[in-house]
Amino acid sequence: MTLGFTLVGIEVGWAFVRKTEPLLSIERLTKRYGDLVAVRDLSLEIAPGEIFAMLGPNGAGKTTLIGCVTGLIQHFDGTVRVAGYDVRRDYQVTRQVVGVVPQELNFDAFCSTRQILIYQGGYFGRRRACERADELLRIFGLSEKASANSRWLSGGMKRRLMICKALMHQPALLFLDEPTAGVDVELRDELWAYVRRLREEGVTVFLTTHYLEEAEQLADRIGILNQGRLILVDRRDRLLNRFGTRWLTVTCDRKLPKPLKDRLAPFQVTFPGPDCLRVRYRGARDPERVPVVEQVLAAVRDAGMQVRSLEGGRSSLEEIFRNIVKRDNHPDAGAVVEPEGGYVR
Amino acid sequence: MCGEGVVKVDAPQTGAVAPGVHADAARCRVDALVARARRERGVYGCVILFRRELDRFLRYSAQTIVSPALTTLLWFLVFGYSLGERLQEIKGIPYVDFLVPGLVMMALIINTFLNSGFSFFISKIHGTVVDLMVTPLTPLQIIAGYTGASVVRGIAVGGVIWAVAILMGASTLHQVGITVAFLLLTCMSFALFGLIVGILARDFDHINFIPNFLIMPFTFLGGVFYSIDMLPGPWDTVSRFNPILYMVNGLRYGMTGVSDVPVGLGLAIVTVSVLLCLGIAWWLLATGRKLRE
Ligand SMILES: Nc1ncnc2c1ncn2[C@@H]1O[C@H](COP(=O)(O)OP(=O)(O)OP(=O)(O)O)[C@@H](O)[C@H]1O
Ligand SMILES: [Mg+2]
Repeated sequence: MTLGFTLVGIEVGWAFVRKTEPLLSIERLTKRYGDLVAVRDLSLEIAPGEIFAMLGPNGAGKTTLIGCVTGLIQHFDGTVRVAGYDVRRDYQVTRQVVGVVPQELNFDAFCSTRQILIYQGGYFGRRRACERADELLRIFGLSEKASANSRWLSGGMKRRLMICKALMHQPALLFLDEPTAGVDVELRDELWAYVRRLREEGVTVFLTTHYLEEAEQLADRIGILNQGRLILVDRRDRLLNRFGTRWLTVTCDRKLPKPLKDRLAPFQVTFPGPDCLRVRYRGARDPERVPVVEQVLAAVRDAGMQVRSLEGGRSSLEEIFRNIVKRDNHPDAGAVVEPEGGYVR
Repeated sequence: MCGEGVVKVDAPQTGAVAPGVHADAARCRVDALVARARRERGVYGCVILFRRELDRFLRYSAQTIVSPALTTLLWFLVFGYSLGERLQEIKGIPYVDFLVPGLVMMALIINTFLNSGFSFFISKIHGTVVDLMVTPLTPLQIIAGYTGASVVRGIAVGGVIWAVAILMGASTLHQVGITVAFLLLTCMSFALFGLIVGILARDFDHINFIPNFLIMPFTFLGGVFYSIDMLPGPWDTVSRFNPILYMVNGLRYGMTGVSDVPVGLGLAIVTVSVLLCLGIAWWLLATGRKLRE
């Protein structure tokens, strides 16, 4: 009796602790290929219900990182846990929780599209896989190809089939390794909508992508991987604020006088026209200073000019990403080169 | 300015964000999956893998069963009736009867090897092996799925040959137990051997090399067509180092009651080869050599 209560007590306590537990936890992961360090001392946690986007240039180590979690790579240093289970020791549990859409397209020359899905579900212990397979084929517009040999599907269709395969066992943590590579715009939009729907159903999503728009649209948090190092992780909105530059174009009623131009020299100002100035400034707030915009506008007013129009914008995640990677690769390069024009929102 | 040059991950940022609105749904899902994994332990998955492999060769049964059976029957006709005329008897039994177990063994060795070897190798080439590597199947379950189907194919091919030989007048079944034991154990060891080669092979040459330059010669020299007692000089002794000799003669004893070598020793050798191949295949899959690197 007492023993029973104690056990229940432990169970309850354990469930309580789990409330705050991350779904995926990576501690000091390092993966070497000979001399090449593909992933270097990487730590990261993903909460249940999150959508996380990992950005990085080619060869940054994104696929390698996913491989270490999903069981495609077994030899690495560090610990990776899914739902608290070690991916190498309790792999039967973690692989049941995880679903993965690999970057490389593959095809099974021996089976029909539908049969592939049924087998894939079966490997994960799924009974009555036919219904699930048909449902997924319908959602991803492959119903017509259900009995076709997967070898003869187009590239985009193969990609969809890969996604269906990963979803057959209804995973809780879905890895999408560049899911929209080679997929048409329409499907891409549908896929994004589907990812959002999955999240509502409780699926946690980890995606890698080169299309930054994708991360910008979908992700709660964004990580940037460069040469195997996780150089930045932040919430998407904070990332845009912290690293995004904004710009403001001020068009005045007449030609800008020389003294005004001199006064504006300390700022990052360019003059696209004789009556026009463009200033770049950081998005983040700095309580210590008078905001740059305020200083510039004050100078314009002090010179007795009238403002005819104001036009503003801010840099996209794409530029932010490029800049961060550039700075990471060349730490001594100094000031960040801002692309002209920016990204109007 | 703020944020400038702070391209560095501070510890807290890599931590999970506060649970979002969907966190509860997410936890339910995880718990359900963990419970399923604990319940299933990959058993059903293993059965499905076996069924898939079965389906794969049955779909092409003309190539995988009928054609090898026909080829072997050709051997049977050519050797059995041409040589049989002249030899009449070997070790006190008709040559045709003597030949049947050898041909059955030859066919099932090559077919079980090719079945698991090619199947695994093709899945590596096409990249579908990844789909298997991410499943909760244990190394032993993967081995069971592949070798199980290969054994079925070996038995099917061997069975067809045997049945046709019976119809053509050969009379062969001496001891059922020994016959079945040698059939199964030989099938298993070559199915496992095929799987090992499939795991290690890097291109088609590797997988063609083994049957053509290793298995075929050893099978021919393993007493399929003759008794090693008929060989001159040192060759009868040299032949005794060929494990396939023991498999062929073991089956021959089961089917006809004659053997060049002790049947007990044969049984031991074929059992050891099963265990050895099983060990190697398990080690390759468990450590992820060549597969999870
Ligand atoms: N099996 C392997 N053997 C040796 N090196 C490898 C292997 N797999 C990956 N690498 C190397 O590890 C590094 C990281 O590769 P990875 O595939 O993880 O990059 P990635 O971020 O996914 O790139 P991409 O955006 O092009 O998909 C690369 O330099 C790659 O050459
Ligand atoms: Mg990649």
